[in-house]
Amino acid sequence: MTAHLLRARATRQLGTFAGLVALSVVLWAATPHFLTVSNLLNVLEQTSINAIVAVGMTFVIVSGGIDLSVGSILALSGIALARSLEAGLPAPLAIGIALVTGLMCGVGNGLLVTYGRLPSFIATLGMMSIARGGALMAAEGRPISGFSEGFRALATARAAMIPAPVIITGVIYLVAHFVLSRTVFGRATYAIGGNEEAARLSGIQVRFHKTLIYGVAGLTSAAAAAILTARLNSAQPTAGTNYELDAIAATVIGGTSLLGGEGTLLGALIGALVMGVLRNGLNLLNVSSFFQQVVIGTVIIVAVLIDMGLKRGRR
Amino acid sequence: MTRLAWRVTLAILILGGPAACNRDASTATRGAPRVAFVMKTLNHPFFLDMQRGAQEAADRAGLQLVVQAAEREIDVEKQMQIIENLLQTGIKVLIVTPSGSREIASAIVKANRAEVPVILVDTRVDPKAAADNHLRIASFIGSDNYEGGRLAGEHLAKSTGGKAHVAVLEGIPGHETGDSRLRGFRDALQKHPGMSIVASQPANWERDQGFTVFQNMLQAHADIDALFACSDLMALGAVEAIAAAGRSGRIRVVGFDALDDARRAIAAGQMEASMAQSPRDMGRLAVEAAARLLKAEPVPPDQTVPIELVTKGS
Repeated sequence: MTAHLLRARATRQLGTFAGLVALSVVLWAATPHFLTVSNLLNVLEQTSINAIVAVGMTFVIVSGGIDLSVGSILALSGIALARSLEAGLPAPLAIGIALVTGLMCGVGNGLLVTYGRLPSFIATLGMMSIARGGALMAAEGRPISGFSEGFRALATARAAMIPAPVIITGVIYLVAHFVLSRTVFGRATYAIGGNEEAARLSGIQVRFHKTLIYGVAGLTSAAAAAILTARLNSAQPTAGTNYELDAIAATVIGGTSLLGGEGTLLGALIGALVMGVLRNGLNLLNVSSFFQQVVIGTVIIVAVLIDMGLKRGRR
Repeated sequence: MTRLAWRVTLAILILGGPAACNRDASTATRGAPRVAFVMKTLNHPFFLDMQRGAQEAADRAGLQLVVQAAEREIDVEKQMQIIENLLQTGIKVLIVTPSGSREIASAIVKANRAEVPVILVDTRVDPKAAADNHLRIASFIGSDNYEGGRLAGEHLAKSTGGKAHVAVLEGIPGHETGDSRLRGFRDALQKHPGMSIVASQPANWERDQGFTVFQNMLQAHADIDALFACSDLMALGAVEAIAAAGRSGRIRVVGFDALDDARRAIAAGQMEASMAQSPRDMGRLAVEAAARLLKAEPVPPDQTVPIELVTKGS
């Protein structure tokens, strides 16, 4: 990768980050409740679930695919977790079962895309319905709730004031960033997204890596499910509806191209924060909930428009 | 650098606009205590009526009312986020219509910790979740849904002569409101051995799902001659399905909520009856209770708003 390209990528992130800062400045000017330690921690905690789902989404989108099933996989993993806790399994084992559930669903997506040769849109659309139905069946349509204090610490614990979900999100991002930027798997992800045929010809095991990429998306959805379940003290078969759209939005606001081959996790994290700060700010300002949706949609479109304009300008 | 300028301008345009409007609107009650009312949704006539009643009471009491709701009624996580965000703004009382009777507990814990009194409207918190989390709830205001379901059952038993094949459209499973209506309805039918429930399925409170679910029920059970829907929206969807099947007027439909559309359907003979709740009274009572809490006056822990049967004759 040339130095020029590296610099281009860094500036793009700087742009998204500047957007986040500008947004915060506006909110700070508009309401005294925004820039307080407790509110900022509150925003970080609220953002954690979307941010974690966006990790897997970034891997998939960088590889040139899309994953519509992450919200449903989140629900199914959450129910698997709740059922295990209900059966009296210790919390770490129950969380392990949830993670395996998510991973299996993701790998299922991956196999459909690679060996089944289905477009990722179709494979994950099918999985979206299958996992949702599975969650409803496993839960008999009802929420499962009432868990031990120990398990709920996943959402309620604090270390030096920082809520546990924020710390977990930070750790997941550090690990995922290392994987995406410093490992063979990460380089394969970019290569496949850039030009799949070229990646194959240069000796990358495309099927293997792609299957794994969807597995990562399933895994991060399951991790988000564990936090959501602890946070609400309840697992719902209808949880995570539309979360795939929030995760896609966070990813593209962060400068990841839906065409594949480029994008970073730092961008996704900033994108998730933009969405979280925006929702929080609109609540603080008491903007009508209908207009909030208009604002969020506008921000997504404008962020991508600016990004595209800049890319064109640089060429 | 131009990019930065771009983004700043945009952010100001997007955010500054509503922020400015908001400031103008609130000057009348600036300085007045802020009371937050977090609803299940704002795209349902029932909650709009509740909002109107609440706003009228807030204007009378000189309170600043903040009303927010999640985009989707069943989004318990978004409702929790809204409550967390509003707690940051120094509200004095929190009024909530819980999206989930168990999930709301985590949000109430946060309000309790912030020493903001909580008033629940329409949906109770699950008793076990309340006990497990040591929740403090200042007051509950709602309809007696069990009694409403029972009245609906009794009415159907009377109008069908105690003999019918009954279908039921349920709300979202696990919702206390719908579950209570269902229990009341089933308990009423138990006293009439000729009334049998041949199909009972959730249509998740929604009109389009009421249509498709009831259409499927009619395919499976051609002998259905009465329907109880736990909400009017589902009942109205079912009315369309009945019309599409060419069986208008031959299936007795009883809904719940007495929405304007349902009242029209009853007048036109497409629906038999509905149960009228008084959302406007609920909104009013909730804000009045909030006003009393602010003056450190006692409030009743439980206030039920009566439910009435609405038929063509009434």
